[in-house]
Amino acid sequence: MSSPLANAAPLLQIEGLSVSFETPLGRVKAAQDVCFDLREGETLALVGETGCGKSVVASAIMKLLPHNASVQGRAVFAGRDLLALGEKEMARTRGSEIAIVFQNPSLSLNPIIRVGKQIAEMLQVHKGISRTRSLQMAEDMLSRLGLVKKETASMYPFQFSGGMNQRVMIATSMILSPRIIIADEPSKGLDGVLAGEVMAEMARIKDQVGASLLLITHDLLLARDISDRMAVMYCGEIVEIGKSREVFSEPLHPYTNALLSCLPERGFQPIPGSSPSMIEPPAGCKFHPRCPQKQDKCMRRPEMVQVESSGEFSGANESTGREVRCWLY
Amino acid sequence: MPDVTKFSRGGLILFLSFLLMAVFSPALAPYDPWVRFEPYFPPGPEHLLGTNDMGHDILSELIFGSRVSLIVGFGAALMATLIGTAVGLLAGYFKGTTDEILMGITDIFLMIPQIPLIIVLAAFLRPSFWMVALLMGSLWWTSTARVVRSKALQVREMGFVQASRALGFSDRHIIFTDMLPNIFHVIMPKFMLSIASAMIAEASISFLGLGDPTMKSWGMMINFAFTRGGFINGYWWWYLTPGLCITLFVLSVVLLGFALEEQEEATMRLE
Amino acid sequence: MLAVLKAEEVGKAYESGLIFKKRHIALRGITLEMVEGKTLGLMGVSGSGKTTLGMMLAGLEKPSSGRVLFAGEDIWRLRGREFLAFRRQVQMVFQDPEGSLNPRKSIERSIHEVLGLLKIPQREWLKRTGEILEMVGLPEELLCRYPAQISGGQCQRVALGRVLLLHPRVIILDEPTSALDISVQAQILNLLKDLQQELGLAYLLISHQPEVIRFMSHETIVLERGGIS
Repeated sequence: MSSPLANAAPLLQIEGLSVSFETPLGRVKAAQDVCFDLREGETLALVGETGCGKSVVASAIMKLLPHNASVQGRAVFAGRDLLALGEKEMARTRGSEIAIVFQNPSLSLNPIIRVGKQIAEMLQVHKGISRTRSLQMAEDMLSRLGLVKKETASMYPFQFSGGMNQRVMIATSMILSPRIIIADEPSKGLDGVLAGEVMAEMARIKDQVGASLLLITHDLLLARDISDRMAVMYCGEIVEIGKSREVFSEPLHPYTNALLSCLPERGFQPIPGSSPSMIEPPAGCKFHPRCPQKQDKCMRRPEMVQVESSGEFSGANESTGREVRCWLY
Repeated sequence: MPDVTKFSRGGLILFLSFLLMAVFSPALAPYDPWVRFEPYFPPGPEHLLGTNDMGHDILSELIFGSRVSLIVGFGAALMATLIGTAVGLLAGYFKGTTDEILMGITDIFLMIPQIPLIIVLAAFLRPSFWMVALLMGSLWWTSTARVVRSKALQVREMGFVQASRALGFSDRHIIFTDMLPNIFHVIMPKFMLSIASAMIAEASISFLGLGDPTMKSWGMMINFAFTRGGFINGYWWWYLTPGLCITLFVLSVVLLGFALEEQEEATMRLE
Repeated sequence: MLAVLKAEEVGKAYESGLIFKKRHIALRGITLEMVEGKTLGLMGVSGSGKTTLGMMLAGLEKPSSGRVLFAGEDIWRLRGREFLAFRRQVQMVFQDPEGSLNPRKSIERSIHEVLGLLKIPQREWLKRTGEILEMVGLPEELLCRYPAQISGGQCQRVALGRVLLLHPRVIILDEPTSALDISVQAQILNLLKDLQQELGLAYLLISHQPEVIRFMSHETIVLERGGIS
């Protein structure tokens, strides 16, 4: 996989993104001070376990959060702060410039409209392309994702399996050649082999249209295989960012290390304790109650610090872009 | 998006007012509705809604009438819901032969034309309003049964029902503690709407003169208003007020049903 | 090592159609043995009939052919109390953790109802509940919560706790961790292993993930198109 120059211009800059929800049980701090860049043509994976806040970050960027959410921070895309945009402008940006593929494809598709038509609609509405031509383009996109048969486009979502619906969703999102694609758990519900195939196809199309991919997933192996860089989230915060292969082979943050040890290939070694509540998170470093290397310092919240990598994966002039939120560094 | 709380609060207030009216009729009504005064008296300070052809105070009639109408409404609805729920639950839980037999019975009952049968029976037997309520209840359970059955079939396949079966709980325990609470939100709205239907049906029967003439229901009032010259003479206080009561009560019931559904949805959304 | 649960030539067929009956054979000729304190791994792609086989072994579905034997007895020949005793001894943990708990019952109630089922006197409920929570690694604050308010891993532990209250000898685990995050998966799998050592449980571990099977099983069977391959 060709990895872009690390000092390529960032396409999307997330600065100090914090999201909290008011619920009957209390104030849920779903995301705290999230900062990362998405560069042109790269695939960045936002990994973490269920409930760590990664989907919330995606929804926040797209301004698709429910009413009881309060959002702070900036999401700068093409010179504009998305979070400050009005709904009309945001609606125009959604789909055409930034597309999002959600988790449950069968729920996101209209069950009574033919699949081809749903995809073609995107072209008709956003770009004003004629019906016949847009249907043709929809069919092309579907066949590129492996749904080759001509009749596929005229079928309904309920006739498809979950995997096929997922590919329809991907087609819908990519047909407008958006500059950023946000994929929220795209491989959920697909079994191993199919997930790999669909993701590979998605990566190929993404390269063809020159888009950037923000991949939200809990599947570490998928993140390692597909993404250039990886950001690890825990309890609403990013704890580590870096090149995927580096993070995997040399995890810096104790959480990342513990998480990787849970993998089957590393022996299913569990992390002691349980995920903290987001209503009353631990003081300071969110991971410290479960950390094997905790110190007194950890009661204070660490900042993100830049770390020099061992240089195995970087050239002499490239900045490594490795950051960790931990007092150990 | 209409404000649900306003609707539900309005519905609740209306509903409770009628309920209180029925319970406390003797205290609220100015006179005994069977006492005769001067007939055809227009509304005035002594008789706020005037008197009817027999000289009965209409306001008192109205207040006492709520009792009959509400009893018929509730009675029929309760019976229909109880029978329907039982049939639907058993059919949906046990499936197989039980389901086939119960659904067969349901289909037979569905073939019976309900309102015409009630009218015919009422015409021939001239039953008391209790009988009318019973009759309606024993014919209307079918739609509840259908709805409950389909939900029961759904709930039965859910993980926790399987888990309860695996743990060895008795069927009775599973039906009452696992299935019923999860089907309840489907039963309640149907119950509320049955009350409304029953009330309207009773009013219609009474209006047709087939009801119980010895009990003053709202429908009976309208009937007398019609047959004894109330309409022709334009005594609106006689025929309009019971009609208004029926409308308002049905409205309150529907609003409550709506509020219950919304509350259920809100709880689901929270999850 | 004593075989505690056996399947002998077990098969399952489904019939459809009113006049022209079509027979779909989901499973045929399955023979397997489960041994105390050991895990039998059951692998196969989705649709190969793994769950159906698990349910037949747990007595939740009746096989169309063959026998399921518990302690040497055909379970479908057992009547009343004997069948109930079998039920208690062979338990099942299902795939969807949140789905296996009644959403309207608090965790406390879900646990208490099992204690009630076992006819344990109410005065002992507090103690027993505390014990079982400790055994599966759950904090007491969870008791007043509802399944929707706790995580998938915690739901799975509650389900496991309820099953353990019955002191079973065999637990059929149907994809117990496939809906869970990897760290929770690691925790649950290790918990299951510890419990097996402590209590001498026999497991039938159904999974489509080879690494999970390898981690836990002493022996493995692969199902392919309804038969053992």
